[in-house]
Amino acid sequence: MIATGRQDARAAIVTTLLVTLAVALLPTGSYLAYLLVWLAVATVAALSGIAPGQLARRALVALPFVVAALPLLFTRSDEIIWAGELGAISLSVSGAGLRIILTTALKAWISVQVALILVKLYPIESIVGSLRALKLPDTIATSAGLTIRYLDLLRNEATRMLRARSSRSASPIGETRERAGGSIPWRARVTGNLAGALFLRAYARAARVEEAATARGARGSLSFGGLQQTDPRIVQKAALALAAFALISAGGALLPRF
Amino acid sequence: MRPNLHIPDGFLAPEVSIALWIATAVVIGIALRRIATERTNAPARTVLMGIAGAFIFAAQMFNFPVAAGTSGHLLGGVLAGVLLGPWAGSIVMATVIGIQALLFQDGGLLVLGANIFNMGVIGTLGGSLVARATSEVFGGGRRGQFVGVGFAAWLSVMAAAGLTTLQLGISGTTDIGIGLPAMLGTHALIGVGEALITIGAIGFISASAPDILSARTSERGASAPRRIALGSVIALITVSLAALFASASPDGLERVAEDLGFLDQGQGPAFELLPDYTIPGLDGTVSTILAGAVGVAVVVVILLLLGRVAARRRSA
Repeated sequence: MIATGRQDARAAIVTTLLVTLAVALLPTGSYLAYLLVWLAVATVAALSGIAPGQLARRALVALPFVVAALPLLFTRSDEIIWAGELGAISLSVSGAGLRIILTTALKAWISVQVALILVKLYPIESIVGSLRALKLPDTIATSAGLTIRYLDLLRNEATRMLRARSSRSASPIGETRERAGGSIPWRARVTGNLAGALFLRAYARAARVEEAATARGARGSLSFGGLQQTDPRIVQKAALALAAFALISAGGALLPRF
Repeated sequence: MRPNLHIPDGFLAPEVSIALWIATAVVIGIALRRIATERTNAPARTVLMGIAGAFIFAAQMFNFPVAAGTSGHLLGGVLAGVLLGPWAGSIVMATVIGIQALLFQDGGLLVLGANIFNMGVIGTLGGSLVARATSEVFGGGRRGQFVGVGFAAWLSVMAAAGLTTLQLGISGTTDIGIGLPAMLGTHALIGVGEALITIGAIGFISASAPDILSARTSERGASAPRRIALGSVIALITVSLAALFASASPDGLERVAEDLGFLDQGQGPAFELLPDYTIPGLDGTVSTILAGAVGVAVVVVILLLLGRVAARRRSA
């Protein structure tokens, strides 16, 4: 039903997962290993025609989550690097905590870049097709394919509904104060109504799509389609991915930590 | 105040990630088997699931202003479960969370199993089962449905936030003593937004197209023994969760205060309903659990009132 050119991304998916796992396994504080992995990732990106700087910037999306690790700076009592009084509060900063925070941030930052290379090199349809070839269940692959296909359409519809709402009611306070709408539960209910209305549209669309598919002779399970061509050198590439995994792990074990 | 429970790669220990991948794969496997045995038209269901996935994506854009700079958002786990059924709903949420990780780097790939477990398995599958059971306990019908859906939506956000923090804590990337109260505190409010939007959506759909929902929800309340049994199970689950969270003691803030040495300077409130989350005269875990039960009862009563108001407005 959905036919687009699908390349074999299996080797790239396996490489992405293995490199992410190797990065996750790197010991805390092995900054030299992180630097080398990042240089390798940036080189692969540059060779694939992706600007490493842009990649590095986009990968900052994961960093706000570092807030979750911040308490470690003050709650860990090992390797105190600074202790002092802040008014009535005595505060200590732990070096071990700082190391965990930096390591976690680096791991997240590098992992996002690795994932970004995958999605920049292969269209999402190819990735889903390849995942199906890697035994992702049919129902999930087909459902994911349809979700991707109707994503923009439904998001546009949602945008239009939000625009219509803000011209009638429930604008954020401060923007158009006079139209700020009713109480908070009222605003929440209006938002819920929008979600309900959007679901009814999606439901009607699903019925139309299914009718159209049946009319064109679709029977039984819908096929999202397999790979159009398989990579002849998949085994060699998988071996390379394993080698990368081993190399990163060895780097983590051998390189000095700080 | 956008709820961000999508853990990025690097934050979970590999063994935690892998264990949760296995748990997720098992549950999604069961879900796939369950929907395969349902007597529905398979292509139609798959098309609906696919487009419903896009709907959840789009519905997560919906927000409502709470105060300047703050807004309530929808995660949609319980909504998906109530609209599509617990099993199909959890598969749809799993797909959505997977696509978010791949397309938008919202959550990592190695930790995807954990993210699906927290939001898709516990949030959607667990959430819609809680919704159904709670609605039966409250006598089914409109009011029961709204109470059940609202309570489950709130609980699903709290459970996902709590699980995320526990997993980070086990992986050594957060301090549970501070992280848990902070996460649960903020998500208690985010969860109210989730509950209100979910009730609004279900209310709208049940008013405009009641046939879509009728197959999914119990129209009538359960029999008295079943009601008591279901009620006890729900209360037990909630109270154990509450007790677990309360036992991250000494309470995070208190612990910071203790560590930083300003605990003595803090002044207690003028009166305390449940001092230290315990009931005066009792001690230890029993007291904490009882205090938890009182807290749950308060939330349930509030939801009951909200449900009654919503039902009256609808029928008016």
